[in-house]
Amino acid sequence: MTDINRFAANPPGRMAMSRRHLLLAGAGAVAAFGTRPAGAVLHLDITQGTPRPMPIAITPFVAGSPDEAQTAQGVADVITNNLQRSGLFAPINPEAFIEKVTDTDRVPHFADWRAINAQGLVTGRVTRQSDGRLKAEFRLWDVFAGQQLDGKQYFTTPDNWRRIAHIVSDAIYQTLTGDKGYFDSRIVFVDETGPKNRRIKRLALMDQDGYGVRYLTDGHDLVLTPRFNPSTQEITYMSYGRGQPKVYLLNIETNQREVVGNFPGMSFAPRFSPDGQRVVMSLQQGPNANLFVMDLRSKQTTRLTDTPAIDTSPCYSPDGRFICFESDRGGTQQIYVMPAKGGAAQRISFGQGRHAGPVWSPRGDYIAFTGITGGQFSIGVLKPDGSGERILTEGFHNEGPTWAPNGRVIMFFSDNPGDAGPHLFTIDLSGRNKLKEPTPSFASDPAWSPLLS
Amino acid sequence: MQFRTASAISTGLHAAVLLWAVVSFTGTPFKSTPAQSLPVDLVSEKEFSQMTKGVKHAPKPVKKPKPVVEKIDKPKPEDLKAKITKKQKVKATVPKPEEKAAPPKPDPTAKEIKKQKKKTQKVVHNEPLPPRRPPIPHKKRPKFNPDKIAALLNRRDPQRHSITGAALNREPTLGAAKATAAHLSQSELDALRDRLIALWNPPVAMRNGERMRITIRIRFRRDGTLEIGPQVITHGSGPRFNALRDSAVRAVFLGQPYSMLKPKHYDIWKEIDFTFDTSQMYDDIATH
Repeated sequence: MTDINRFAANPPGRMAMSRRHLLLAGAGAVAAFGTRPAGAVLHLDITQGTPRPMPIAITPFVAGSPDEAQTAQGVADVITNNLQRSGLFAPINPEAFIEKVTDTDRVPHFADWRAINAQGLVTGRVTRQSDGRLKAEFRLWDVFAGQQLDGKQYFTTPDNWRRIAHIVSDAIYQTLTGDKGYFDSRIVFVDETGPKNRRIKRLALMDQDGYGVRYLTDGHDLVLTPRFNPSTQEITYMSYGRGQPKVYLLNIETNQREVVGNFPGMSFAPRFSPDGQRVVMSLQQGPNANLFVMDLRSKQTTRLTDTPAIDTSPCYSPDGRFICFESDRGGTQQIYVMPAKGGAAQRISFGQGRHAGPVWSPRGDYIAFTGITGGQFSIGVLKPDGSGERILTEGFHNEGPTWAPNGRVIMFFSDNPGDAGPHLFTIDLSGRNKLKEPTPSFASDPAWSPLLS
Repeated sequence: MQFRTASAISTGLHAAVLLWAVVSFTGTPFKSTPAQSLPVDLVSEKEFSQMTKGVKHAPKPVKKPKPVVEKIDKPKPEDLKAKITKKQKVKATVPKPEEKAAPPKPDPTAKEIKKQKKKTQKVVHNEPLPPRRPPIPHKKRPKFNPDKIAALLNRRDPQRHSITGAALNREPTLGAAKATAAHLSQSELDALRDRLIALWNPPVAMRNGERMRITIRIRFRRDGTLEIGPQVITHGSGPRFNALRDSAVRAVFLGQPYSMLKPKHYDIWKEIDFTFDTSQMYDDIATH
């Protein structure tokens, strides 16, 4: 991916009219018929809507030459799959399309798209440049307003077409929802193969939609809890190397690996600070565990907690000012929040049962956790002040929530008594749209990367 | 010296009292019984009208609508009227107790005396009085004890029962004689608002109480279609504003033609400012 050009993103007729307000006094008041003074404009407040998946038509991209036909179709398929899985869009079956788009520079025949109830329309083209690079362009149209909402073009190497499709999906998502997308991102997870008693666990990396799986470790050592660096393509994880479990850093581009600190006891549950400069983790000290933070540059280690309890699963707030963690200092596992430099911690989870493994949302508005009640493991969220606790999904075993870069979707792993192994799932922050994530075999401990671009 | 002794005694006694107070006050823990809470729902005027207006798309009942039934009743016993008449018949065959106690025939002498007495003085009735009603057994009425109001309150079953009947019938009753819709007619504006609420798909970024509002001016034709494209009056920028603006414009376009607006009022509705406001909008996030 090299350069991204923007074109015609501001079509005519889209400028907001800078007219003077001629509203009646009292915005909430609705003027009744007959009582309106002459010349004033009737005013109506709409404070509710009906959320539903938006019907959208994604046309097959036009290929510049027969060589690109497969790629062009692939781009449209990836976009369709992304938008469909988000649960916010309802892509229309291409067989229903009336107009066949052959020239993306022409304004579509909107009546044909209105007839099949499409509200959004995506058209695009993939062409090969003379320098061998691939040029992909798209336009997003509002069918009812008859206007272009977005239009961009991208250049990339031909084998990188899937990323282009993800970037286009993100652009469509943001234009229509107002929120950043999460499609151009990756997942690192623990791939599990082999029988239950001799499981081979390897670190694996894949695109957010399950494509392009790549293994990062050979399965020789047991690996657990991989976490992405929020600012670089680097991960930290825990591994049983020789004897003691240690926290490692791994650069996924160079495959370079190093141990984080040389501590006497077991170190586990690592997680990066938002700037990627520090790693916060748990160190075992006798029967207890305490939180430590290590500066990756100076290698200096600072103790954050000192309690006769097990403090673990630390996670920074996205602004880096606080750390939430799990502790049993009050008797059972609960979630606490303390300043990032250490200090008094405050318990925030007071809902039913135990609360473990807190993860702060990249938006900062929620903390996801694993809830344990009566032998059931659920995935839930609560606000950083402890209010608004909600369970998103419940079951025999759900664990390890991780947030999509836009903080709207949570991925976790889940297994049932009848299953031979765990699988990855995604669910909306609203608790809807639970979907199984495609993986080559059993998978656990997912971690979602930040957006790649 | 005496003063000193007195003050020493006084100090000692005070200290003792204080010590006693400290010990005795901590002896009994403070008990508080949890107060019973009373659930209260705040209902706005608008919500009330929503609740009472009936169902918008209710199918119109063809014949006389069946009454709404939420719960199947116990099978009814035989006709109550018939039972009563039967009972009366039984009573009629049995000699009445009053007849039994009918006054015996007075003898002629007595009659004469009576006649004489009637002339001079008031008649003294010698007839036996009709049998007295059996005394009403004195029921012990519960004494009202203001300290036990809670007990009185708790004794009652909930007053709201399901509407019972022989068969379930959940058919809404728009247009039925007893339904409220007949009396609460919706104004054209309410119908217009309902149409836009049904069509507006608010962007997901604003479904969680994020405050943003946008005003759009629409000019209508007499047939309820848009004369010109919607004019966005509110200034703003950024992806969220744009997504909100586009969703609002889309809803307005989708709603054409606005047939609920009556042509005779055209002068009033030919131009309307719609404000789409997300501040009261919550995804079902909060209700799980």
